[in-house]
Amino acid sequence: MEMKKLLKDSKKVATQYTTWVTFVGLLLLLSILTNGQALRWGSIRNLLIAESVRSFAALGVGMIIITKGIDLSIGYVVCLTASVAASFAQNPDYSSAVYAGQSFPLIIPIVAAVAAGGLFGLFNGYLIAYGKLPPFIATLGSMSIAKGLQLIYTKAAVVGSLNQNFKNISQGSVGPVPNLIIYVAIAAFIVWILLKHTRQGTHFYAIGGNAQAARVSGINVERDLMMVYFYAGLLYGTAGTLLASRLGLANSLTANGMELDAIAAVTVGGVSQNGGVGKVSGMMVGVFTMGLINYGMSFLGVDSYYQQLVKGFIIIIAVYFDMKKYARRA
Amino acid sequence: MDTTFALEMEGITKTFPGVKALDEVTLRVKPGTVHALMGENGAGKSTLMKCLFGIYQEDRGIIKLKGKEHRFKDSHDALNQGVSMIHQELSNVPERSVAENLYLGREPLNKIGLIDHKKMNDETRSLLENLEINVKPEVRIGSLSISMQQTCEIAKAVSYNASVVVMDEPTSSLTDNEVQHLFKIINRLREQNVAVIYISHKMEEIFTIADEVSVMRDGQMIGTYDVTEMTNEKLISLMVGRDATLRFPEFKSKVGEVLLKVENLSSPNPRSFQDVSFEVHRGEILGIGGLVGAQRTELMEAIFGVRAIREGKIYVDGDEILNMTPRKAIEHGIGMITEDRRGSGIFPLMDISNNTSIASLKEYLNKLHLLKHKEMKEESVRYNKALRTKTPTMETLIQNLSGGNQQKVIISRWLMTLPDVLIMDEPTRGIDVGAKYEIYQIMGQLVEQGKAIIMVSSEMPELIGMSHRVMVLCSGKCTGVLDKSECTQENIMRLATKFM
Repeated sequence: MEMKKLLKDSKKVATQYTTWVTFVGLLLLLSILTNGQALRWGSIRNLLIAESVRSFAALGVGMIIITKGIDLSIGYVVCLTASVAASFAQNPDYSSAVYAGQSFPLIIPIVAAVAAGGLFGLFNGYLIAYGKLPPFIATLGSMSIAKGLQLIYTKAAVVGSLNQNFKNISQGSVGPVPNLIIYVAIAAFIVWILLKHTRQGTHFYAIGGNAQAARVSGINVERDLMMVYFYAGLLYGTAGTLLASRLGLANSLTANGMELDAIAAVTVGGVSQNGGVGKVSGMMVGVFTMGLINYGMSFLGVDSYYQQLVKGFIIIIAVYFDMKKYARRA
Repeated sequence: MDTTFALEMEGITKTFPGVKALDEVTLRVKPGTVHALMGENGAGKSTLMKCLFGIYQEDRGIIKLKGKEHRFKDSHDALNQGVSMIHQELSNVPERSVAENLYLGREPLNKIGLIDHKKMNDETRSLLENLEINVKPEVRIGSLSISMQQTCEIAKAVSYNASVVVMDEPTSSLTDNEVQHLFKIINRLREQNVAVIYISHKMEEIFTIADEVSVMRDGQMIGTYDVTEMTNEKLISLMVGRDATLRFPEFKSKVGEVLLKVENLSSPNPRSFQDVSFEVHRGEILGIGGLVGAQRTELMEAIFGVRAIREGKIYVDGDEILNMTPRKAIEHGIGMITEDRRGSGIFPLMDISNNTSIASLKEYLNKLHLLKHKEMKEESVRYNKALRTKTPTMETLIQNLSGGNQQKVIISRWLMTLPDVLIMDEPTRGIDVGAKYEIYQIMGQLVEQGKAIIMVSSEMPELIGMSHRVMVLCSGKCTGVLDKSECTQENIMRLATKFM
């Protein structure tokens, strides 16, 4: 009897905290398979750094999915913002620099990239909230626009030779903690406050859960929807800046496919595609779960072709359980 | 005449969580007759028909067609066995043609398994011609008027060559001429020995078209009668059954000054409400009566700012409010409990606490503009306790509550916004008798506190039992306002069918 109850309770916990259970399970599995080799601080640190930029994208699209939207433009918007940031951080003596011979204060690349991301967010948000375009289509269009702008702006060239100050933004560390991890923590904290402790955050959940009921409850659905895309855009701009800083360059391949990684990560992290459900903790765990899978497979020497395969299945399984969990009763 | 019944339903019992919707109901329908099924809303007519049509599975009971026992697993099964049904709401695919809608799910195929459009259109054409319905099979069904779409649904039901055809309020969106046309079709079905079960609230229709009438009340079958031995009064007393006043709580409120005033409100849609004016006073319940399609909900949504208006004025406490939006309405002390609880009421995946506080978040911000979760929750608990919402915890998702308790959470939500005027659109729809009475009590308390309530209701006894005055709409126009003393079923019905 006791045993049965225990089993039932643990089952309940498992369905309620699927995200965490998956993450811890993977962690244990990996440490067993590698005799603890894979879980040294050095490796974990590398994992966190590798996933940091994606975390920004995940936080942005996570909020969007809570409102029952989607954003396909992430990859190219991050690519564009990375290029913008890089273009203002090139060494002035670099002959093929976008602004050759000119140097800018460190704040310029950051502001320019975040502003570019924000503008794209507003553009997406306006089309979706006021233009009533389906988010899938609106962001599919802006994805192509972002790509086009990036190619025009950089003339399809690599934006390289970035100055050291700019590279230090992401490459430095405070004590043993890399800067990037601190930035991620700050961003996650801000998004957590927004979602959990502000009116607007609560409205996001309401809009995703039942937009018509939200409207009747006096929520300005259009404005809130536009803002969620705007906030996401700011996060993409930040991601672009950090990515350029970390890589020391930007080109037209930078951040390609990041939208899929980010969407997959938050879905694994329990953000429901049906809208109205999702937590910051889940989004972050989702990102690191996906990272752990990549990293673990590399560590175990699994061919990268197979990694792609495994990732695909994990996304499908995560969504399958998500749909079952929140399936409306007939 | 054939002695076997076309349809026999015996001892049908169906229980939903907390409600016994059908209690040992027996219905026998002879072939070649029109059998009216009557009863108040919630009496169990629709549930009974859904059991017949395989949408619900009865807990107990037997269904026989022409003496042979059947058990339908779903509506597809029912259709194959010769039972078809015209639903009250349109259930077509608006973007497809008339023929495609008629043959949806049973499209004729050619030799290689592709849809035979020619055959489909030809058969539809001959069917429509046969029923004297003047529509081309190729037109997009969504481009037709609502009443013509409804007529097409009737044609569809007939096209199954069913031996039993159920019509659930088929005339609610039809004009007089169209009703006459429908009656012609029904007479033709009768000649073809089809049994027609006809659900309607309109007395005249019953007396015109039906041969027999069965009356249901509170999930039970009261009896089956020959229409020739029936009168209007007899039928109503059978339907209502007992003294109507006992079902409503006593409340004493003082009717005071005007809180909300609406002047010449017209919708941009010419088929919706036009030129409606009325006032609601402090301490008053104003009932809004009318048939389905009278545009009552549309009018309420316009007042609350969910729908656009073409012209007209809305005054709250004497001030005119321009460009109404739900947000402005709430700021001016109006709340609205919508008719469609699932569609525009609940946030299914939010808990009780958040569902309650969602419309009043503005009142719970600290200096940093962050939400005061603790106070929000305490207030939510307070309101839900006062309304006796039954829930395991405040963290329970609202989708896991019964309809009546969901409704109480939504009433709590609006009470928390401290409204002066509460619009309640079908406040007791889909709620069992006990919870209904509690909601009536809450309404009584609210008007005793000096608030005003506008209640849209399709339940006659509720309108008559709860309202101080009843305004009746018909086809979007106000056809009269009745004082308590004039509020009778007949008077309301007369006004509700004025333009029909």
